[in-house]
Amino acid sequence: MSERPTVWRAILESQWKWTRGLALLGALVGFALPLLSLRTALATQSTASFIATMQAWGVGYAIAAAALGLMTAIAAWGYDHRLRHVYALSLPLARWRYVLLRFCAGLVMLALPVVAVFIASEIVAHSSMVPKVLQAYPVALTLRFGFATLVAYSLFFAISSATGRTAGYILGGIALIIVAQVVISSANLQVDLVSRSIDLVFAAPGLLAVFGGRWTLIDV
Amino acid sequence: MTLAIETQSLGYAPGRGFQISNLNMKVPVGSLYGFLGPNGAGKTTTMRLLLGLLPAARGSITVLGEAMPAAHVQVMSRTGYVPERPHIYPTLTVDEALRFHSAFHPRWDQPWAEELRTQFNLVPDRRVGALSKGETGKLMMLLALAQKPDLLMLDEPTDGLDPVVRRDVLEALLSYVSVHQATVVISSHLVHELERICDWIAVMDRGSLVAELPMRQFKDGIKRLSVADAPATLAATPFTILARRPDNGSGEQWLVRGWSSDMQSYFGAPGATLRKIGDLDLEDGFVELLRSFREAK
Repeated sequence: MSERPTVWRAILESQWKWTRGLALLGALVGFALPLLSLRTALATQSTASFIATMQAWGVGYAIAAAALGLMTAIAAWGYDHRLRHVYALSLPLARWRYVLLRFCAGLVMLALPVVAVFIASEIVAHSSMVPKVLQAYPVALTLRFGFATLVAYSLFFAISSATGRTAGYILGGIALIIVAQVVISSANLQVDLVSRSIDLVFAAPGLLAVFGGRWTLIDV
Repeated sequence: MTLAIETQSLGYAPGRGFQISNLNMKVPVGSLYGFLGPNGAGKTTTMRLLLGLLPAARGSITVLGEAMPAAHVQVMSRTGYVPERPHIYPTLTVDEALRFHSAFHPRWDQPWAEELRTQFNLVPDRRVGALSKGETGKLMMLLALAQKPDLLMLDEPTDGLDPVVRRDVLEALLSYVSVHQATVVISSHLVHELERICDWIAVMDRGSLVAELPMRQFKDGIKRLSVADAPATLAATPFTILARRPDNGSGEQWLVRGWSSDMQSYFGAPGATLRKIGDLDLEDGFVELLRSFREAK
């Protein structure tokens, strides 16, 4: 065994062990999305349909960011949950510091897919196959992808780090909205509670607003 | 007497009927403190409370001179903990587990960790999750020892291990303690094991401390007395009678605690005759102590 590592390095190494498969898969997906979107857009006949196809692929970035954030957050806490946090709590480290280090280690893992999106986006942006009248936004797309991943990861990390009871409250809140909507609909009242709740979260300045709107690499 | 651990009026009530109430515990520095009790007595919960892994509802805890849980980080850097269930990340290899653990412990002794790993026959690249129960037990002990702690909290560290592995683990523990004068709190169901290695003994039942005293005093003070002509009701005795039973026709057998040889003169006053004084081993003493505690409750 080599020399005693720093606490940060030890946490990072364990995180890499748990999430490297996920990070590499994310990098693969992140690299493929821009290239696939260009490939399918090139098959279209007009500039308008080229843009529409590129936009249609936009939802893929949002889904990938959400999925990566969710799975990395779950993986960050998975083994501590399984071991009932006994090991983590018995380490001579303040709890807040342990949580912060685990959070940062997860972020480092998420950097791989973000870098992959950036590289592939740059390749597409510099491709001669993109119609000259259109603009590429590789940096903007990468930043948005990175921010969305960060938001999803932070949200699910916080939920995962909380107790089962807290997670229950959140799920209970969602269930309550759905049940309320069913009751309202059966009473023939014209109130769309679910849509309003979704707008509240996904429309600006909602918590998950970054996932809404247009995600596009090539636009006018 | 300098104390490694002291609790005052410690209380914890997680619900579901179980509670730890008014626990006053004193563990002397450098002692090998055996923690006995039946399943569900509260030994594991007490250990977790002492280490700040659970929040106490009442009372105070001092470990290695520091108030807990406020000084959790300082205390844990000087404490090796072996919980009753495996707690190491199962995806790490043995070597990775050592490396991970060493990062958090500034006094980590790498050469000694390697020596113990070889002595315990732990394969460096074997996954922790693939280790047998005995190997996992040895790894947890290795991690606790190689951080060179002043205090070792061992929650049934040899439970379920075969005799050979148990001997390896205890030998490593005793060798460390003899060199470093560390304090050890060890809980176990194996009464004879504690009898062999501990110099202090505490008995816990239903969240309360039934007894806490030096092992020698515990063993010397618990006797089986054969008594003849004892009256049915007795005036105050200088010792505690844990049990009175008929003794094969004539006389009675008394199990007593707090006995000393100068108490033989007591039997003249009630007109009884002391025929024989017999020793009890720790297991018998433990069982009788618990029985009398439960009857008194």
